[in-house]
Amino acid sequence: MTKHQRHLWAGLGLSALLALSAPAKADELVAALKGAEVGVATYDMLKAINSNVASTLIYDTLIEQDANHGYVPALAESWEEAPDGLQWTFHLKQGVKFHNGVDFNAKEVADWLAMFKGTDFEYYLGAVKEIVVVDEHTIRLDMTRPDPNLLYNLSTPFGGIMEPGARKADGDNYGLTAAVGTGPYKLESFAVGQETVLVRNDDYTWGAKTAANTGPANIERIRLREIGEASTSFLELTTGGVDMLFGVPQEFLSEATKQPNIKLMTMPDQEIYYLVMNVTAAPFDDIRVRQAAALAVNQQAIKDNLFGGAGNIPSTFMIASLPEEKVADQFRIKFDLDRAKALLDEAGWMSGADGVRAKDGQPLKITLWTQSDSNFRRVTEVIQAQLKDAGFAADLLTFDSASIRDQYKAGTHQAAVRSYFYDNATILDWFFGGDRPGYPNISMFNDPKAEELRNVAMTGSKTSEEFTKNFIAYHEYILSQFPFAPIYEPVGNIAFNGDRVIMPETINSPVFQRAAIMDLKLAN
Amino acid sequence: MMRWLAPLRAAFGRPSGMVAGTWLLILIAVAVLAHLLTPYDYDIQDLANAKMPPNAAHWMGTDEFGRDLMTRIFYGARTSLTVSSVSIGLSLMAGLTLGATAAYFGGWFDRVVTTAVDLTWSFPEILIALILVAIIGPGTTGTMAAIAVAYLAQFTRLTRAQILTLKSETYIEAARSLGASHKHLLFRHLVPNALAPVLVAAMLATGDAIILEATLGFFGLGAQPPTPSWGAMMSSGAAQLFSAPWIILLPGLVLTVTVIAINLFGDALIAALDIRTKLRDA
Amino acid sequence: MFGFIIKRSLLLIPVFFAASIVVFLLIHLVPGDPVDSLLTVGSPPEQRQIITERYGLDKPLIVQYGIWIGDILRGDLGTAIIMRRPVADLMAEALPYSIALGASAFLFYTIVGVTLGVTASLFQDRWPDRTIMTGVLFGSTLPSFWLGLLLMLIFSVWLRWLPVSGARDVSSLVLPVLTIGLGGTALVARITRVAMVETQRKDFVMLLHAKGMHPLHIQLVRVLRHALIPVVTILALRIGFVLGGAITVEIVFARPGIGTLLVRGIMQHDYPVVQACLLMLSMAVILGTFLGDVLQALMDPRARVSLS
Repeated sequence: MTKHQRHLWAGLGLSALLALSAPAKADELVAALKGAEVGVATYDMLKAINSNVASTLIYDTLIEQDANHGYVPALAESWEEAPDGLQWTFHLKQGVKFHNGVDFNAKEVADWLAMFKGTDFEYYLGAVKEIVVVDEHTIRLDMTRPDPNLLYNLSTPFGGIMEPGARKADGDNYGLTAAVGTGPYKLESFAVGQETVLVRNDDYTWGAKTAANTGPANIERIRLREIGEASTSFLELTTGGVDMLFGVPQEFLSEATKQPNIKLMTMPDQEIYYLVMNVTAAPFDDIRVRQAAALAVNQQAIKDNLFGGAGNIPSTFMIASLPEEKVADQFRIKFDLDRAKALLDEAGWMSGADGVRAKDGQPLKITLWTQSDSNFRRVTEVIQAQLKDAGFAADLLTFDSASIRDQYKAGTHQAAVRSYFYDNATILDWFFGGDRPGYPNISMFNDPKAEELRNVAMTGSKTSEEFTKNFIAYHEYILSQFPFAPIYEPVGNIAFNGDRVIMPETINSPVFQRAAIMDLKLAN
Repeated sequence: MMRWLAPLRAAFGRPSGMVAGTWLLILIAVAVLAHLLTPYDYDIQDLANAKMPPNAAHWMGTDEFGRDLMTRIFYGARTSLTVSSVSIGLSLMAGLTLGATAAYFGGWFDRVVTTAVDLTWSFPEILIALILVAIIGPGTTGTMAAIAVAYLAQFTRLTRAQILTLKSETYIEAARSLGASHKHLLFRHLVPNALAPVLVAAMLATGDAIILEATLGFFGLGAQPPTPSWGAMMSSGAAQLFSAPWIILLPGLVLTVTVIAINLFGDALIAALDIRTKLRDA
Repeated sequence: MFGFIIKRSLLLIPVFFAASIVVFLLIHLVPGDPVDSLLTVGSPPEQRQIITERYGLDKPLIVQYGIWIGDILRGDLGTAIIMRRPVADLMAEALPYSIALGASAFLFYTIVGVTLGVTASLFQDRWPDRTIMTGVLFGSTLPSFWLGLLLMLIFSVWLRWLPVSGARDVSSLVLPVLTIGLGGTALVARITRVAMVETQRKDFVMLLHAKGMHPLHIQLVRVLRHALIPVVTILALRIGFVLGGAITVEIVFARPGIGTLLVRGIMQHDYPVVQACLLMLSMAVILGTFLGDVLQALMDPRARVSLS
């Protein structure tokens, strides 16, 4: 190579390096979405199957939840429920505009609600008989039956109010190239599966009071990146490629603390890991065996050894923050290995030489199903060992999430380690409802008394107090039958570059979304 | 049988062949005798001693459950060698049959077989494996099926090319004119003479198969816990990349050395059998 | 000659249909369907039937295949059930990334492989030859996911030279290309070396030496030109694999592309996506092989006989 050529190569290399080391824009926050929120297909909330944090920034809902799952006014200033539960009246905030300038009023809300029909979300309004526009800022829903969970549904990201005109006009492109709401951020661009770019809505002054800042947001631009591989997203944070991770892969928590400028924050999350047992398949058709398996799970050991001591130990089927979680103490499921062994003795499963119990010549062998995600595999391997301490011989079977649901429907499984993400008591109906055997009712639980309590809870509650009371009764009964055992309740971990990002002091919402981001600041 | 000893010995005679061959023999011995070579069990968890770097008690350290890594690598050799050799073996037998019959009978049968087999070849291995495992279920059966399908085309084409060349040899024509049956010709004359390059290709394919098995294990398909497999170990090791890098590095190293050894030994065999040209023409 | 090409291209039609049937069956044989992914917690039990009918999943398989292949032949790739968008749009977005990765890797291992193979052949059987070939062998046996993670660790984390993931600009191509490229280099280097060595033995080379031509000129110009023929034919055969070969790497490096699209489609049972992508991938290989065979026939009359 001639000297001239060598200089040329050096120059090219240097400029490449310089290009690579360009600093992030001062007023732009770059964040990586958490694993569960990756892969949103569209920001058309009636077509989407899942949502991410951007959905809560582009759209406002009528009501928001605060950190205690209470309801706080958002686009609805106030609301009343008729005493018999058959009427809901919402008084809308005034002076609100959509991103495209259209005024927000009761007619727009009525048009938006009408769009639910024919979509996969039409059941949200399943109990609604008629939508009445009372006046420009008041809208009334007449119901066929009480639906105390209506507020919950309207507070989810799928209750994000989209501008009906824009949605109709853009057709198939709506949610991809444009998404019009009233939220603190506008959608600038959406590269599906890769990144969403949001710009501040400077006219925003009507934020719900879950955030201290109700006016325009502090940060001008937000770039949300979707990174599927856990190790990759962590590496991006350490090398400055992103400023924040909305979810930190478990295994990198200790590593994160070693980096000087990386700070960690925890928030309650909505996930519960649990062990579910098929009550129609031996040996779990015997309630004593189920209870024994449930009591053999050493939740503390899992929390300490697999999750570094972070998180919570659940003792019911729900996350701790829900009012319907407050069941009586005697129903809570907690680790008790001695009692587990006693129960198995009682059920006729006697200790064998190799530690595996046996009855009538049959060993206590079960197959434990799990999914191919690495967190699941590790939790399941520990459960396998803990069950062995009680005398179960458990074989593991790992399925990828594609085929596992259909496998459940065959009804031949015995036990599985799973998790769910949800923050509402209706999760009991979903997972234990008798008319959904196999999947999602993996426990195949179908008990007449449970069904009765379920009906009362789902459709017989007139007010939210009744809702809570009825669901607690349903919850307690399910717990007493031991179709499952709670394993672990993770906290949400958020890691951020302490030099760039200033976290708000308190966050008054159940998860890290609109309210938290309104109060977020960038160091300058 | 005796025919094979000479080339094997010749392969060992070359320096690269000897080093590679020795490693492979050691590996096989380790896989078979694993339970005698290590005092640890591969599935006993010892959470208190998790993620320990290599030390006197654990020569290769422990994994995130406190299990001895060297023990799991030894038993993992069993998984890798069994899965790859069984699946390649099946694929080889199928490929020999299909390729020989296609070449021998020719015509539309040949056309159909080659096209069908080419179709299997046209899909990326990982995807076929994913789908097959999803259909058959988790565990080694799905991975073995996937690996067998992935290499079928290669063996079929190779056999077919060999048989095509041999078909026109004078001694075959002579045997035919003397009234030998198709079966006799195929199994007594054609296939045995075509075997050499195909067997060596099978050996080299085993090396690839070990990598494919590890890749599938990396994505959670394949041998189920607590059965150790190098791929699954590297997968959980990826999560411990910073805190315990030996979990991903050591199995990967053993895997790479093994596959290199297979390739080097295969090369030595090719040279010893002097069949380089036969392999290339396929 | 022309007749040969026509005959071979006509064969492609039944192959296309066979591939489409295989593709259709494969994804439908996987237990499960997309309906479960469309049911959200809280939906009533009737919702399942409503959704199944909405997407035509209750019809018999043959009918569903007929509808699908009819659409494909009309150029309609369908709409993704879970990903909610026209499949053509999804593929149009993913393809450029996969092509960029595949083509760059192809260029990389072709150029590097040929260079190494030629160099090795110049020093045949001496230490540079052995070192190069062993090094190349080592590089090609490393499992791609392992190699990818290691390269990421070294170049993105320790040295901070390159971005960890994503596909923002050219720099994010470097590691993925290296990971794939190291594998392909071995094959190309080997073939080149063997071709060079064999060509050297040919008579015309001896003649050139006797005539007094400069040895390096002979090797690098005359021999190489002749040796490249088998190299090119084999590379042509491999062009079809350019897309599919990058899938593991796409996943490890979080790069968008056909690979990640397909994996997501398989996981979610998004039939239209998987069917269209797999069909495209397989046809790419089949067409590539066809082109390779034609090229080979054009260059070598003997091959024409054995191929027809």
